[in-house]
Amino acid sequence: MTTTQSTEVPTKAALPPATSTGLRVQSAVIKYGFIFVTVTLFTYFALSEPSFRDSATLLDTLRYVSVAAILGLGVTLTMAVGGMDMSVGAVAGLGVTVAAKTMVTYNQVGVVAILAVVAAGALAGLLNALLIVVLKIPDMLATLGTMFVIQGTKLILVDGQSITPGMTQSDGTTAPGKFTDGFLRIDRGTVLGVPVSVLIFGALTVVAWVFLARTRWGRVLYAIGANPEASRLAGIRVGAYRALAYVLSGVLASIGGLILASRIGQGDVSAGTSQLLEAVAVALVGTSVLGRGRPNVWGTALGAVLIGIITTGLTIKGLPYYTQDVVEGAVLILALVFSFTLSKRRTA
Amino acid sequence: MSRARLPLAALSLASASALLLAGCSQSSDASKAAGDKAAPAAAATGTKPAPFSKGKVKVALVRQSGAGDYFEQWGNGAKAQAKALGIDLTVYDAQADNAKQATDLSAAINSGAKAIIVDHGFPATIQPEIDKAVKKGIKVVVYDVETTNKSVISTKQDDASMAQAVLDVMGDQLGKDAKVGYVNVAGYAALDKRDSVWKKTADANGWKQEFKVGKVTDSTATDNVPLVSAALTQHSDVAGVFAPYDELAKGTVLAVQNKKLQDKVKVFGADVSNADIQNMTAKGSPWVATAGTDPSAVGAAVVRTTALELAGQLNKSSVEFPAVAITQDFLKSKGIENMDQLRKALPALNLSKVSTADWIANVAH
Repeated sequence: MTTTQSTEVPTKAALPPATSTGLRVQSAVIKYGFIFVTVTLFTYFALSEPSFRDSATLLDTLRYVSVAAILGLGVTLTMAVGGMDMSVGAVAGLGVTVAAKTMVTYNQVGVVAILAVVAAGALAGLLNALLIVVLKIPDMLATLGTMFVIQGTKLILVDGQSITPGMTQSDGTTAPGKFTDGFLRIDRGTVLGVPVSVLIFGALTVVAWVFLARTRWGRVLYAIGANPEASRLAGIRVGAYRALAYVLSGVLASIGGLILASRIGQGDVSAGTSQLLEAVAVALVGTSVLGRGRPNVWGTALGAVLIGIITTGLTIKGLPYYTQDVVEGAVLILALVFSFTLSKRRTA
Repeated sequence: MSRARLPLAALSLASASALLLAGCSQSSDASKAAGDKAAPAAAATGTKPAPFSKGKVKVALVRQSGAGDYFEQWGNGAKAQAKALGIDLTVYDAQADNAKQATDLSAAINSGAKAIIVDHGFPATIQPEIDKAVKKGIKVVVYDVETTNKSVISTKQDDASMAQAVLDVMGDQLGKDAKVGYVNVAGYAALDKRDSVWKKTADANGWKQEFKVGKVTDSTATDNVPLVSAALTQHSDVAGVFAPYDELAKGTVLAVQNKKLQDKVKVFGADVSNADIQNMTAKGSPWVATAGTDPSAVGAAVVRTTALELAGQLNKSSVEFPAVAITQDFLKSKGIENMDQLRKALPALNLSKVSTADWIANVAH
């Protein structure tokens, strides 16, 4: 993701320069425009629909977007190194299948399932890293390829069937295990009234933010995204850091898969596919938050929240899904106008 | 400064108008659905009981998927009946995304709906949410969902009646002790129910089952042609073949035609759709009988069932929608080419006697 700001020194890019009063106002519009749209929509729904104001509805909204948001965090990391990860939806789907296979077919406890899913996610990330860093395949194409390979692998693992507790397996025996109660609590449980999946979303957002914006590693990732050649000349092991970004993205996607598996409660082979576009959308739209014009963690998280507000609000208003897509797209474009069109005008 | 504010104002205006536009398309869509799909409602004569006596009642419809001919018509029937009853129906459509259906159901519970209709879904995914809804005092009506909660009203298409209706016609046409073929697959709840009726009826009539083949794939109709063709090569003396699912029946029809047996072998199918009617009435079609329900009437009947439950007048925990036999002769003699004409010619499809009361304006009649 190279932008107009990519030529700046990465450590300074976080602070948009404001040199005169006029520019300062305009940069405020750019900086807070996205947040303004979010708050406006939120206020509109909250005032017009009493059930939207309900805290349970708001927590539901966060629960709904948690998976796309966590996948989006992974996409953000790969965008920081100038790449893109198209395999996150497939990796999340693989996570659902691996979780079901571990618990239902092999009758293992939830902890084993969690470890297996995260390991599968890391492996998928390593595969992406191998293709992109070692074999030099362009990121978009490589991860598109792994997307298909992972989806296919997932289907082969289960003979194309959704794994359900008590199912008759291909050898005629009955599946011995079930989704454990502890595992189901990942999405269905609450702590102090907040769904566990929302807490995971919040925690991962903070961790990813600290990593990307407050550590040396994070700055190195941004530096590579801004100028890989300069980074290499500065002595950075560019390949290793890019590989790290894809492995972390795979792990984050698998955590999204854990939440999906817990939400669905069985091995749904179609799970995850719908998450890819939303994850990429929230990461892209996140670049416009706070006028950064580059991938950033808070932007991604806020982008996910905005999509959640739109979906929930419009559904409560009674709009069918096919009109929602248009509104959702329009608002996303509007948000991008803030970061790209207005930013360009400022620099021009 | 003004230069900076102008785009912002323009953009917020654009955002507002986008919402407005979407709002307009919704209202026109709803009225169109009601006007097109449903005949004018049979007027309600009785006094509305609570909660309907107090104005609009909020109900949520949570669907696993609303896509495809069958589910679209089902949804249109439900919307039209809701409108006629004064129900404010919010439709949640997960578009076959099971994780979304779980959060949709959760959202519906928090939306303040008095009742929730759940149309299809994985039991493992939706059962915990259904339990939550029941605990909150929300009436839950499920369509074609296996549920363990005793307070839930269960509705479904009556698969046994569907098989029986076709097999009665088959019995009339083939008589006792005929040689027959069977195309079906085990492991699908609906098909298994049709299978048990088949076994009983075949035994009672003394039919000799010469072959049983069949599989369900992404393109079931095409993939069954070679199977049935092979079976017919071995057993070309069968008088009839029972294929109790329209995709299986379509494959069987093609196989019979491939083997040029359409004058000797009759096909008895199940389900009905526009495409099925075309298939049955095509020149030289061996598909002589089927049975089905009208998805639009079923959707409407599910909403009426919900209304009765809300009013405390249902007094039972399950409602099944019986299927009606449809023969090729009937379709041809009435010149029926599509579902709309079939609905007019066959009032039994409208389920007008199912889940109704004098205070309910019935869209199916």
